[in-house]
Amino acid sequence: MSEDLDKVVAAAEKSQKWAAEVVEKLFDVAQPSSVYAEPVTAGDQTIITASEVSVGMGFGIGMGGGEGRGVPKGDTGEEEAEFEGEGSGLGGGGGGGGASLARPVAVISVRPEGVQVEPVVDPTKIAIALFTTLGTMFFMLSRMRKG
Amino acid sequence: MSKLKDLVQWQTISGEAVRVGDIALTPQSQALTIRLPKGGFVWNRPVAVLVERDGQMERVPVVDVTRIAQLTLLGLGFVFFAVTLMLSVRKRRDGNE
Repeated sequence: MSEDLDKVVAAAEKSQKWAAEVVEKLFDVAQPSSVYAEPVTAGDQTIITASEVSVGMGFGIGMGGGEGRGVPKGDTGEEEAEFEGEGSGLGGGGGGGGASLARPVAVISVRPEGVQVEPVVDPTKIAIALFTTLGTMFFMLSRMRKG
Repeated sequence: MSKLKDLVQWQTISGEAVRVGDIALTPQSQALTIRLPKGGFVWNRPVAVLVERDGQMERVPVVDVTRIAQLTLLGLGFVFFAVTLMLSVRKRRDGNE
């Protein structure tokens, strides 16, 4: 039992250490190199794309164990009945999840005349925001008219 | 307070300069980092590019037009919601009196 417990604890510690290392790598995203792409040159023009990046991650590890009595020796109805055999068990498990999102924000173009930052517009996102706002306005107006 | 600073960080970071011909570009980004005991979150966005040419430095901002439009519409919706809510409350109060 004690040996099994040591094994489970060691495995859980190893998993936790590994998960913590993975999470630590997540913070590399906070560097500008993850936001600005490598420059691409075509002719006399060089282009660098700039994106917004968001990353989230989490993990959890758990373990447990227990001991139990076996089958009662006949149904005597007494609380202090005798039991046949006993059992014990240990177990552990873990899980994690994460998500990452990236959205282009602008294109930086470097020409002999100078540097220009051209924004990247996402009409779908703007349309969703517009219709949500219009929906809210319509809902509030109709509610106000009803009194 | 310092513990909170370790957990939540909001910083502007300058990256390594990229040289294109006689122009040196230094990218700048702003990152929000949230460190949790068993996880974390990072939000990183470009803010500006420092352009160095002929010994002169210029800061060219990176404007997120989509985000500005989204926030403007969200703000408009919120203001409209607040105003109509206020008007309907006033109307109901006047009706009761």
